[in-house]
Amino acid sequence: MTSTDTTTSTSTTVPADIAQWLAGRVASYLDTDAATIDLDLPLAEYGLDSVYALSLCGDIEDTLGLVVEPTLAWDYPTVNAMAEFLQAEIA
Amino acid sequence: MRYGAFAEAERLEGVLGDPGDPASVFSTAACADLDDADGFPTDVCAVLDGFDLARLYVPAEFGGGLVDYQDAVQTMRMVSRRDVTVAVAHGKTYLGAVSAWVGASREQAEKVGALVRSGLPISWALTEQAHGSDLLAGGVTATRTGSGYRLDGEKWLINNATRGGAVCVLARTDEAGGPRGFSVFMVEKAKLDPATHSPVPKQRTHGIRGADISGISFSGATIGADDLIGREGTGLESVLKGLQLTRTLCCALSLGAGDHALGIATRFAAGRRLYGRGLTELPAARHRLATAFADHLLAEAVSVVGSRSIQALTGEMSVVAAVVKYLVPTRTEGMIASLRKLVGARSLLRDVLEDGAFGKVERDHRIVSLFDGNTLVNLNGLVNLFPILLRTADNATAPDTDGIRAAATVTEPLAPMQHKRLSLLPRKGSSFLLALPAAVAEVEALAADDDALAPLATAARALRTALDGVYAAVRELPAVPVNVPTTSFVVAQRLAACLGGAALLQLWLRTRADALAETGPSTPLWRDGVWPTLALDRLLASVGTPTPAPQAHYDTAYDVLTAQVGSGRLTSLFDHRLAEATR
Repeated sequence: MTSTDTTTSTSTTVPADIAQWLAGRVASYLDTDAATIDLDLPLAEYGLDSVYALSLCGDIEDTLGLVVEPTLAWDYPTVNAMAEFLQAEIA
Repeated sequence: MRYGAFAEAERLEGVLGDPGDPASVFSTAACADLDDADGFPTDVCAVLDGFDLARLYVPAEFGGGLVDYQDAVQTMRMVSRRDVTVAVAHGKTYLGAVSAWVGASREQAEKVGALVRSGLPISWALTEQAHGSDLLAGGVTATRTGSGYRLDGEKWLINNATRGGAVCVLARTDEAGGPRGFSVFMVEKAKLDPATHSPVPKQRTHGIRGADISGISFSGATIGADDLIGREGTGLESVLKGLQLTRTLCCALSLGAGDHALGIATRFAAGRRLYGRGLTELPAARHRLATAFADHLLAEAVSVVGSRSIQALTGEMSVVAAVVKYLVPTRTEGMIASLRKLVGARSLLRDVLEDGAFGKVERDHRIVSLFDGNTLVNLNGLVNLFPILLRTADNATAPDTDGIRAAATVTEPLAPMQHKRLSLLPRKGSSFLLALPAAVAEVEALAADDDALAPLATAARALRTALDGVYAAVRELPAVPVNVPTTSFVVAQRLAACLGGAALLQLWLRTRADALAETGPSTPLWRDGVWPTLALDRLLASVGTPTPAPQAHYDTAYDVLTAQVGSGRLTSLFDHRLAEATR
């Protein structure tokens, strides 16, 4: 259900470890430390509002230069699942 | 000036006739009697069916007559200005069908379109007794069988659940739930085994008493795979997108209720004499009416821009709908409450003033801020958008100026609706907010050449300052979306006021030349920035940054209000003759 339509970007630096970067973003939304985020646990388990989770697509666009569907976090509900998808898109 | 969106409304008015005529099916007197009896407005709905009102519930691309959403708003407003109960009872079918417009395949949407056109009432079954507005907690399940699904569980407080011939049901298709764990089904009762579903009795209510507010219970009801709307797991997405449309369209109910209440209060004030003095000779009474009218014009302006945005700024409707659904019903509730103080004891009497309609419209309208996402749900929706709104403001993202122009220039034809463009997130922020500084500068430039616009320029600057304050407040908020703090809701209220203010400024800027060129009873509102200055006064006062408009502006509004009501015209920024028009 999720698709990307552009992958071009000139001003962004892609973090080497997308999963760690994503965990950092999620942690900031939850006001907690990235180390406490289990990369294989659905974000909803942390109580993250499913609509609020849509905001992640903005961070992804800014940092990775990838335009993704807002529902990315619904289709790939864990940090690792999202990172795997994004890695494939960048490659 | 006239507003093209009233064309269908005018035709409907011609069919329905003067609501003050007791011989008319859709009269104030008939509606009052139905209300006394908790009676469903069957005969009135039959008249609306005769008009084929339901063609406005089906987009043209799926076989209906809905081309511009703004037309549906203004037409439904004519129903609501007579009786909110009827508007709720009949208009519900749009809500029942909307999931198909946003989430179904073309073939399926056309099928639903034909169902609606056949006159079948369709209801939208989202909520359940134990979970309120928390849709992801829903317990109704749709379990896969060999050929389709099996529905089990109960939906409750569903408008038309009992009378509806079809029910659009949000059901859990993944035991684990979650945002991809729900799907939407179009359930036609005639296709079900009668033993597998039963109505949950209508609740008696303090408002919209005749409406069928009931429930439906499924027990092993078998439905086909082709009753699934879109793909499995897309239920929440299509409901959230559908709500962007329905929440915006809800403004029709508030505008109609506001028209009704304002008309009653204005007629009452004009005729009321005590000790040889007319009530309207009292400056306080005139000011109360003028202030109510300012609130109403504010609601109308936000509704006009909001409903045009459906087609002009489709991708931004997640934020626009939340603002419209928060601002318009709450402002209208406040306006009616204020008018109640003017009408006094007669607002409570059943038989003394216009069949007791004032008390009824106040009771009836209370539903609007509750259903289809209540006030807090909509504010929470805005809180969810804080990160993207702040990010796009900080990045100085370019607003969609073409979209703004189309949304705010009422004489400009709208592009055809593309439901696929609805998005759960305003990816590029809110154009109205991003364009506010430029709009303020535009007003200031006009005011530099025209002293009469100085009050509007002052109000516009205050609005810009208020928005800067909102951004500063959002930055200070803790980024903890799990438990939304009360302060976030307060900031969301201020944000909604700023967006509403930005939208109405655009409406004045883009439409005023046409409005001034075509003179009519409403023209004085458009001169010297009278109506936007009044509307901003009301908005800014509500968020704690009062910027009073000149008394002369209130006097102008009072004069237009009495001229409109006195001649049977709609209480509006535009010139629209109602069925009871005298000249």
